[in-house]
Amino acid sequence: MKMRSYYWILLMFGVVMGFMLAIQFRITRDMQSTPNLDRPIALTQELDEARNSRDQLQAKVDELRNQLDSAVTGPELSRLKKELEEARQEAGMKEVQGAGVEVTLNDSNKVLLPGENPNFYVLHDGDVLRVLNELKAAGAKAISLNGQRIISTTEVRCIGPTILVNKNQRISPPFIISAVGDPETLSSSLKMKNGVIDYLQFWGIQVDVKKIDKLTVPAYAGGLVFDYAKPKI
Amino acid sequence: MPQKISMYVSIMLVAAVLGLMLSLQFRAVNRAPNGISIDRAQELTVELKQINKEKEYLSKEISDLTLKLDQIKQGQTEAISALQSELNKVRMNAGLVTVSGPGIELVLDKPDTNTGDTQIPFELMIIQDEYLLSALNELWGAGAEAISINGQRIIATTEVRQAGSFININLNRVVPPYQILAIGNPQKLMDTLEITGGLQEYWRDLGIKVSIEKHDDLTLPAYGKK
Repeated sequence: MKMRSYYWILLMFGVVMGFMLAIQFRITRDMQSTPNLDRPIALTQELDEARNSRDQLQAKVDELRNQLDSAVTGPELSRLKKELEEARQEAGMKEVQGAGVEVTLNDSNKVLLPGENPNFYVLHDGDVLRVLNELKAAGAKAISLNGQRIISTTEVRCIGPTILVNKNQRISPPFIISAVGDPETLSSSLKMKNGVIDYLQFWGIQVDVKKIDKLTVPAYAGGLVFDYAKPKI
Repeated sequence: MPQKISMYVSIMLVAAVLGLMLSLQFRAVNRAPNGISIDRAQELTVELKQINKEKEYLSKEISDLTLKLDQIKQGQTEAISALQSELNKVRMNAGLVTVSGPGIELVLDKPDTNTGDTQIPFELMIIQDEYLLSALNELWGAGAEAISINGQRIIATTEVRQAGSFININLNRVVPPYQILAIGNPQKLMDTLEITGGLQEYWRDLGIKVSIEKHDDLTLPAYGKK
């Protein structure tokens, strides 16, 4: 009789151990299919280094452009220099100051009902594009998005919860759009009935438009590279 | 008696193994949720790639500017040509000069109204400004160097805006079919539109007629000129 109770205990141990073994195997197998931790950590470090060296390169470009400007003397050259200044103004490579509006966009603070798609209530690249387009249509002279100057080739792209602009600059909400132009025209074109703000507010996106007497839109700091396009004169 | 001892020993062994496994298990479970998701790693990779590309651009710009600076120091004639070439580059970016190069031609046309397909509401069949905006955005993102829509060069302040059933670009009214010319790497520009789930698919689902063609030599007008 006594022997039997030992057998029962042993049997129970055996069952529990077998069960655990099975779970253990499954967990170990699952873990191998998720990427290991080292790679993202290494990536993040690499990214930081890349950002630093990019910022250094950018500073170098600025310095060289200034050197180029100051190296120029003589009457013939000063004419060219003037033209260069004008072209830079057009291209967005000069800082612009003046009156304008500041638009702040932020994700919706709406409390979602069960079954609602949260994607509808998050800011998308399309929403930012709409606002930028509206400002351009209202005659904005210069626009920046979180300190990044919007030039012709600027793209606005969603990557996860953040947005990439000017190929490399990652920005996250709130998005602050500064536009130099007539404050009255700019803000009324945004606030127009059935306009951009009405549309965004339907989804609960927080939009705030402020008229500002003096604001500064920074210059575009990146490089200009034309590998394919050639001027035709 | 010896039998009993051996039994105790075996039970002790089993318990020890069990304990070891339990602790292993806990460690494994605790570590699992700390892993960064695949999405995050992918995002990082994409960003890194983009930064590296930008670095490459900046390096090119630096060598270009250094070269021009050297030229300026050499003498008057060299200085003029150096400055002229910098001016051309900036003007090209500002859209002030006519440019040519390889690229793609994208044509969007409104669907035939007599197809009898009543599933698509009429409003959706008008080509909205948004479609053109997203096309521009996608093409810039894929490295386009210059774009025009129906002869209107796209510059920093260009708007693409619905005005009734027309679209205004650079304050000029344009009508379908919309012909978008983009200079850049033709394959890359094409891929970005043709990717599964991309814009081409989206437009086709709406019934818009889309055609994309590669060209070896496109000419885009300067801003403000026809």
